[in-house]
Amino acid sequence: MMGVVDKHSLLESFSVGRGVVKPSRKLYIVEPGNVRRVFEALIEKFGYGGFYLSTIVGTDLKDEGRIRLDYYIVLLPEEETVVLRTFIPRENPVIDSLVDILPGALSGECETHDLLGVVFRGNPFLKRGFFAPRDLVEKGEYPLRKDSGV
Amino acid sequence: MGVTKIVEISVVTAEIPVGPQHPALHEPLLLKVYAEGEEVVKVEVNTGYNHRGIERLCERNTFYRDIFIVGRVCGICNAVHTNCYVRALEQLLDLHPNRRAQYLRVLAMELERVHSHMLINAVMAEIVGFETLFMQIMLDREKVMKAKEILTGSRVMADYVMVGGVRRDIDEEKRQRIRELLLKLGPRIEYYRKVFEEDETIVKRLVGVGRISYGEATSHSLVGPVARGSGVKIDSRVSDKYDAYGEIPFNLVTRSEGDSWARMMVRWDEALESIEMSIYILEHLPSDGDPVPDERRLPRRFPPGEAYTRVEAQRGELTYYVMSDGKGQNPYRVKIRTPSFNNIINSAFMYIGHSLADVPVILASLDPCISCMERVTVIDLEKNTRYRLDLKQLAGGKP
Repeated sequence: MMGVVDKHSLLESFSVGRGVVKPSRKLYIVEPGNVRRVFEALIEKFGYGGFYLSTIVGTDLKDEGRIRLDYYIVLLPEEETVVLRTFIPRENPVIDSLVDILPGALSGECETHDLLGVVFRGNPFLKRGFFAPRDLVEKGEYPLRKDSGV
Repeated sequence: MGVTKIVEISVVTAEIPVGPQHPALHEPLLLKVYAEGEEVVKVEVNTGYNHRGIERLCERNTFYRDIFIVGRVCGICNAVHTNCYVRALEQLLDLHPNRRAQYLRVLAMELERVHSHMLINAVMAEIVGFETLFMQIMLDREKVMKAKEILTGSRVMADYVMVGGVRRDIDEEKRQRIRELLLKLGPRIEYYRKVFEEDETIVKRLVGVGRISYGEATSHSLVGPVARGSGVKIDSRVSDKYDAYGEIPFNLVTRSEGDSWARMMVRWDEALESIEMSIYILEHLPSDGDPVPDERRLPRRFPPGEAYTRVEAQRGELTYYVMSDGKGQNPYRVKIRTPSFNNIINSAFMYIGHSLADVPVILASLDPCISCMERVTVIDLEKNTRYRLDLKQLAGGKP
């Protein structure tokens, strides 16, 4: 069984930047086009039992004109949390979906789509108005965007 | 005369809405169940009946006010929610509560785990038809509610955790009273565990129902007792060792069966572990100072930074992401990911192939907490390989 070092070196091979989220969660910045490839590589090398996708956090960085997406991954069996970070343009927030290779991404992708307007290309379940109230949906607003007025 | 023609009559797929108001569910959630006869062929999870926009609300209030907002995400797990959020703030501020405060926090969270696990096991007893057992468990649950009231001042809504410590200390008399209640409760939980293990009807209703494998649990991001019931060794208390969990001895409970019964047994075993942990805390409570910090001296400004904290809530891994831009009194972003968010939305595949009567059992075995999950929504499940279009058209269902 491959150890946690292999998992880190795999993540590092895709990363274009490093960082830390408190308390000492290792952060790897990757290009948005590579996010799906990272997960494909993780599944291929370590299998579905080698990690799970815990959370997808989308943040609207309005002043920078982009949206930040953080994928929090828990590496198993060490149970160490690492962060995969990417940035997509605010005007055209599109990224490849993971839902066909990793069904656990469903909840996070659907939430991020409805609250922040990120389009996960290839996710057939994206839908507006499930949790955002109807009046906001009709106005076409995404409540977690800083200029939504909510 | 030979047979010249065979006419096949297809089974019609019926669409049965379970919820949002349904006797088997105590909170609003819609399971759209598609059944052929008694057999479930597809389930869609529809939520959104209870969405309150708490993440946005947190961005519009100060760091300190948010402590009270996140405590109201969910009543039954309010101590873990506030603990997780407060620890994120402490990471941003680089503040460390003293050991006594850390022990008291763990005590509050473990008492909460006991009453939550008792509640869902009682609900499960009711769903499989044992109303008296439901009432018995709820009656004994009052003991731990009382213990929590003695500790925090409130049976349910504690607001116990504050930045740098806890809101109140306990004295010798309270310590003894909580200990006595827990000593009385332990044998009762052992008895109920035995009932769940040995009663023929309960075993028949739960064993083999909603079975998931190790790989399915991790690929669908299932957490908590649901994952541990399938042998996945995940527990934030063990891996993150937050607060005093690094010093208090306890066992990580897992089972290998992966069915509804295994999930309920994991909960009973964890409740017993929690009682032992609580008694250990009461007997080894450190006295290294006042656990209640002076609120007036807490820092008013938060430096820029981001923190991501995890806590093992009753239902599994609960995570908070808090980002401060250092400019104002309010957080820039608060992201809450509750365990039910993963466990309920990603688990529609579990119902397929079981009978309609098993649907409430499987749902209850996931310990659904809708108010936790409902800061979000969703939909579907697997790629219905068993699905046949002609049947759907016959049924007049939606394509």
